[in-house]
Amino acid sequence: MNIFISGGCKNGKSYYAQSLAKLQAEDGRPLYYVATMKPADEEDQTRIRRHQKEREGWGFETIEQSGNIGGMEADFSGSFLFDSVTALLSNEMFHRDGTIDREAHLKIAEELVQLAEKSGNIVFVSDYLYSDAVKYDELTELYRKGLAWIDRRLAKKCDVVIEVTFGNVRVWKGSEEDAQRLKRLADSEAGPVFPI
Amino acid sequence: MHLIFGGAYQGKLDYAKERYQLKAEDIYFCGAETDWCSPDLGMGDPVPAPEIDFTKKAIDGLEEFVLSCVCSGVEAKAYLKAHREEWKDSIFICTDISSGVVPCDKKQRAWREMVGRTLMYLGKEAEEVTRIFCGLPQTIKK
Repeated sequence: MNIFISGGCKNGKSYYAQSLAKLQAEDGRPLYYVATMKPADEEDQTRIRRHQKEREGWGFETIEQSGNIGGMEADFSGSFLFDSVTALLSNEMFHRDGTIDREAHLKIAEELVQLAEKSGNIVFVSDYLYSDAVKYDELTELYRKGLAWIDRRLAKKCDVVIEVTFGNVRVWKGSEEDAQRLKRLADSEAGPVFPI
Repeated sequence: MHLIFGGAYQGKLDYAKERYQLKAEDIYFCGAETDWCSPDLGMGDPVPAPEIDFTKKAIDGLEEFVLSCVCSGVEAKAYLKAHREEWKDSIFICTDISSGVVPCDKKQRAWREMVGRTLMYLGKEAEEVTRIFCGLPQTIKK
């Protein structure tokens, strides 16, 4: 299944997404973690190390792909965890040399939809950053608008759309059977433990 | 009345357009020419009192109307209450701005709270309430 997950920061999205990706690889197919973050400083390095530690023992093979999703190489019969759409847009929109690609979201949306078609078993993780009472500068608004564009495109494409709120799971799209199964996974003892 | 809310850029207006077959002339957008965010505009400044054209089927950007109310010292809920007969069959579209950090700026803080009060009122009055998430609707009340 192609699954799209969003929700607020530090709500347990990544852990839940990891369990879903692992579940989709239960039949022995390869399990990939597509890491999109391009570390810019020590803070990012620390975050990446923490995430790597959290994934230890899960059996993920990590693919570092901070851009050019169309050129990604893998065995596409595998199960993929794509974390995250948010970081990918940031990499592709704001370049190191200071230039800005104002239409990066269009390219990314198409590339990710194609990736979903190629794989059929991918979990996308994005961030819900649309409900705060702050009037941002023009570039931040452009970024939020672009990310929402990609989110909506993926939500339309994916079989299942999930919102994670503090470890709770709301299924916005998907069959009743899938919804029940996915909720059980979040509640089960064998499922993810959400670290504080 | 149908209240449609959700985060920014989630496809609220697209949903309303499709559901009610709205054309451009059916929609009133509350973001007037005035830059209500400008730091020059404080709270209770002598700016023109905000108005909504209730002859339109749908009122989009209600949060902008509320911001204009904050700037001009009007309580949005009171304005809406006074015009209740005019919007009984309307569609209100509003961005949910309730789930972020409390803003440092006093005006934005007041805005956030007034949007909350306004949506609680409209949510109570509405026959139908829908939340939009990534283009997908969820019926909160019907």
